[in-house]
Amino acid sequence: MRNKNLWKKSIVLGMTLTMILFLAACGADNTKEPKDGKSSQSGDGAQTEENTDPYGAYEETVTCTLGRQTLQNPKIPEGDSYENNAYTDWVEKRFNVDLTNAFEANDGEDYERQVSLAIASEELPDMMIVGRATLEELVEDDLVEDLTSSYDNYATDYIKGIYDSYDGRCLDSATFDGKLMAIPSTNPDSAPSQIWIRQDWLDKLEIKLDEDGNAAITREELEMVAKAFLEKDPGESGNPVGISFTYDMNGSETLEMQAISASFGAFQKQWFQKEDGTVYNGSTTPEMKKTLEYMNQLFKDGILDPQFGTRTWDDITALMTNGQTGIIFGAWHIPDWLLSNVKSMDQNAAFTAFALEDDKGKVNVFHNNPAANYVVVRKGYEHPELAIKIVNLFHDERVTSKTLKDDAPEVYEYEQLGVDGSVRPLRIEVNSNVSLLNDYGAIVQCVNGDITIDEVPTLEAKNIVGCVQRYNEDPNTTDVIDWARYHSRMKGIQLIQDLTDYDSLVWVSPLYLGTTKTMKNKSANLDKLEAETFIKMIIGEESTDQFDSFVEQWNAQGGAAICEELAEKAQ
Amino acid sequence: MIENKSISGRIRCFVIYVVVILLAVICLVPLWNIVCISFSSSGAVAGNRVGMWPVQFTLRAYEKIMGDSQFWRSFGISVVRVAIALGINLVMVVLMAYPLSKSKREFKARNIYMYLLVFAMLFNGGMIPTYLVVKELGLLNTVWSLILPGAVPIFSVIMVMNFFVGIPKSLEEAAIIDGATPFQVLLSVFIPCAKPSIATVALFSIVGNWNDFYSGLIYMTKVKNYPVMTYIQSLSVNLEELIKAGGSASALANAAEVSNQNLNAAKIVVAVIPLLLIYPLLQKYLITGIVMGSVKE
Amino acid sequence: MKKKNALKIRRRHSELSYHAMMLPGMIFLLIFSYIPMFGLWMAFQEYAPAKGILGSPWVGLMHFKYMSTLPDIGLLVRNTVVIALGKIVIGTVMAILFAILLNEVKNKLLKKSVQTIVYLPHFLSWVVLASVVVNFFNLDGSVNQMLGTLGMEKINFLGSNQLFQPLLIGTDVWKEFGYNSIVYLAAITAIDPGLHEAAAIDGASWRKRVWHITLPGMMPIILLMAAMNLSSILSAGFDQVYNLYSPMVYETGDILDTYVYRMGLISRQYSFGTAVGLLKSVIGMVLMVSSNGLAKKFTDRKIF
Repeated sequence: MRNKNLWKKSIVLGMTLTMILFLAACGADNTKEPKDGKSSQSGDGAQTEENTDPYGAYEETVTCTLGRQTLQNPKIPEGDSYENNAYTDWVEKRFNVDLTNAFEANDGEDYERQVSLAIASEELPDMMIVGRATLEELVEDDLVEDLTSSYDNYATDYIKGIYDSYDGRCLDSATFDGKLMAIPSTNPDSAPSQIWIRQDWLDKLEIKLDEDGNAAITREELEMVAKAFLEKDPGESGNPVGISFTYDMNGSETLEMQAISASFGAFQKQWFQKEDGTVYNGSTTPEMKKTLEYMNQLFKDGILDPQFGTRTWDDITALMTNGQTGIIFGAWHIPDWLLSNVKSMDQNAAFTAFALEDDKGKVNVFHNNPAANYVVVRKGYEHPELAIKIVNLFHDERVTSKTLKDDAPEVYEYEQLGVDGSVRPLRIEVNSNVSLLNDYGAIVQCVNGDITIDEVPTLEAKNIVGCVQRYNEDPNTTDVIDWARYHSRMKGIQLIQDLTDYDSLVWVSPLYLGTTKTMKNKSANLDKLEAETFIKMIIGEESTDQFDSFVEQWNAQGGAAICEELAEKAQ
Repeated sequence: MIENKSISGRIRCFVIYVVVILLAVICLVPLWNIVCISFSSSGAVAGNRVGMWPVQFTLRAYEKIMGDSQFWRSFGISVVRVAIALGINLVMVVLMAYPLSKSKREFKARNIYMYLLVFAMLFNGGMIPTYLVVKELGLLNTVWSLILPGAVPIFSVIMVMNFFVGIPKSLEEAAIIDGATPFQVLLSVFIPCAKPSIATVALFSIVGNWNDFYSGLIYMTKVKNYPVMTYIQSLSVNLEELIKAGGSASALANAAEVSNQNLNAAKIVVAVIPLLLIYPLLQKYLITGIVMGSVKE
Repeated sequence: MKKKNALKIRRRHSELSYHAMMLPGMIFLLIFSYIPMFGLWMAFQEYAPAKGILGSPWVGLMHFKYMSTLPDIGLLVRNTVVIALGKIVIGTVMAILFAILLNEVKNKLLKKSVQTIVYLPHFLSWVVLASVVVNFFNLDGSVNQMLGTLGMEKINFLGSNQLFQPLLIGTDVWKEFGYNSIVYLAAITAIDPGLHEAAAIDGASWRKRVWHITLPGMMPIILLMAAMNLSSILSAGFDQVYNLYSPMVYETGDILDTYVYRMGLISRQYSFGTAVGLLKSVIGMVLMVSSNGLAKKFTDRKIF
């Protein structure tokens, strides 16, 4: 019975929607005019329920409870809190809503625990952020609202354009049986894993890298630099270490061997589908075996840290801060939060980023999982479209408005202070897949004087222009933040830009399908097997000849079953 | 006194002093290291350069704590919690340990109670069911949610019970003949005789309640209600976890700015100070216990 | 005779008072311990928070069967028990020894300050202490520098499967012995000093007095602590292991709790976690009850 009604409703709804879309298309201009939305809230009191103004305010105050991920944030002005700040005020005034926090918890385990407790006590907040596994559970038990029509009707063209830049991969991950059950947070591509090398040391030792000028170095060059750093100890630490990685074997881009395995065409821990539909894992390929053989050679040669296998993240931070190692593997943004430690202890420190090329001179990279996490709306919440409106406000108007300073001075001030997104009501990022290079392009143009600072698209980019300009004036600046922002952009993203320009990047697309039944039970075991085996092979406790028997074991202990499940899911 | 006279006694005494002091030094190392970290610059801390002396001495961390209103608010919540919990714990321990110290002949249901207690000590329903109970009682976000689930420290009950058993029967019987009720016997005979063990239990209660950060994470859904250890725990930004969770570049950069370990170290130091003061205070009772015992016999 | 009768009547009244004394505590336990125990059903379900305890599907003994088929289960249990036992035995001995030694210190100021200092490491979490331990024991750490000056080869303690368990046990003893000694100090103060004086007059040596007076006097508490610790033999200290181990030492360092934790990272495993917890509780109960029986048999005093 219920279902029938639902059908009827959705047909009616669908028809109305189509009509509205037609109307909207006819009146082309007024869809994207936030100012209009603002004026209409006070004026037209008698709007019908089908008002789909993306910035429309509610006539009567609507309440909304939120699950909030917190993060230690030094930049919240004194007196403001996660519950009451310029961002929440903005939403409350603009849409006539009353936001309260159902719960707050530190991002990560603490937050996930509160989400589980809220689900278990059957008191979901109206909106919250969840991960993929929780989303699947919530959808399966019909606890979250279908957002298909809200998205279609309320999302601005700008927002839709952003999601479209992922070729549907982003929204697909939140779509179940054709229904959009959540709003995904976007995760633009950021590959490759870069090799950050101390430029001041290279200069000191008069080493020239990347003679062919393609921004990528070969494995031989990497070994050469590491050996030189080991022998000459340019950091004068008395105890140099060549290349160091953490003991984690997650295939992550930072402080792990991702760049090296990619140069052999191996992508650890990623799932891929072959043309015949079967699925395999990157850790079990012959390319992975080659990577391990090579790593073993590095270990034997003493280039790899002799303590490989027990090093923690903090250990390696200490190694580079002390000038013991000058070769760090990581994403483009590590100067901002990791390498900055080096600068704060050594004023002369400077880095250059390189990619590691394969035998053909290409750089192998894979696409990120396009969705990081998801906004869900509680089933039965009267205003599911509010979620979309909030997304519009923060990821369209805030970013694109030229008059933010006058319209919402408090919000503008927050942006100037660099208060990060975690204090926004819905902590997600909505950036286009090419936003990284687009923003960077604008930064470079502005620094070169080709465009004015007002033409730089986002406030974050504007702030960075300032950092880069200050750094350019005085490259020996003692300001760690200017130094860090300069390095992450002018070295880190510039590298991505160069590789893109030279057409050096070879992209592959892994499968991102969430967790399967066998994964839930067997993954911990498979991870353990893989980490133990790989580390033993690298440090030579086990021969790499045993790789095939590892693959057999891996398949037998559940790996094969997972591949089959994923192949089925991928269809 | 007697043993000090002989030479072997003196040698023994000397050896004992040396061993005891050595052990104390070994135990002082980590906290001293943390104190040094709290006075060092964050760069030196990241470089792992701080050992037994501050590097690039700075008071910035302590200045920051002074201005951190949430830290002091949480500190206050913890003080209130410890005070109330201590009262409730001690009453429960003493009240339950006394009947349980009776033999089965004197108190027929004794063994049933005892097994119920041991069972409750070893088995628990887990986080979610306990949360549901606390929530149903409307205790979420109140200090009671931190106190009441641990109102009966069963291990302490069993421990004090064991001390009660050791108190000579004659003392109790004398009191009973004088016409004392069980409550009076407990108050006038058992509690004074077992002062050292009760002081020990008090210490356990204070330390346990002060140090516990986990219940705060579960039962407090607002940061402003966190007790101090929960607050400190929530401060340690783990960049490694953040990046694994897919934190954005700007979030990571912001987190890196806060994640100065020297500030966290300073907070740990400040939070440990009350515990440093408690032990010498309670030790007075431990010593009285000896005197009491010798007088009574 | 009259006295005895009066006592008997008293006793009947006393029992009522005893029940009254137990009542408040039992109410708390009922609400916060026994009622939540319905959650133990989860061990026999495939619990999902969204479905609730009533709505989650019943799977019987599946989780227990799965536990027994884990490829590493033997290793996990062995590591857990070895590490836990090591900590119990060495930790208890150290704490008792320290309490006896400290009791001999007559200088009050020294006694107070030493006792305050040794219980300090207990207040520091393993997250904090782990970095101290790593700095001491890694290849560039002070311990290896000492070995180096002695002309010995450097040892990677944190990556050695032979040394990892001793390292865990040793550092745990270091962290906890001071705090654990508090209860033994309390036990010593409960011993009648008259006994010592009498023995000393009889010419008994210090060692003899410790052996024949102090230790027997502490015995009830020693037994209690031993039984308590034994009951948690399947918990080898998650926080410590988690902050110190790496895949290099999974072979000797991976314990039940760390394994369950890693499983939970992939997907929340409430039911499996509850099943493991339930098994631990049952084994703990068995050990607790049997040590109580043994104590009764050999020392004629029950623990509880």
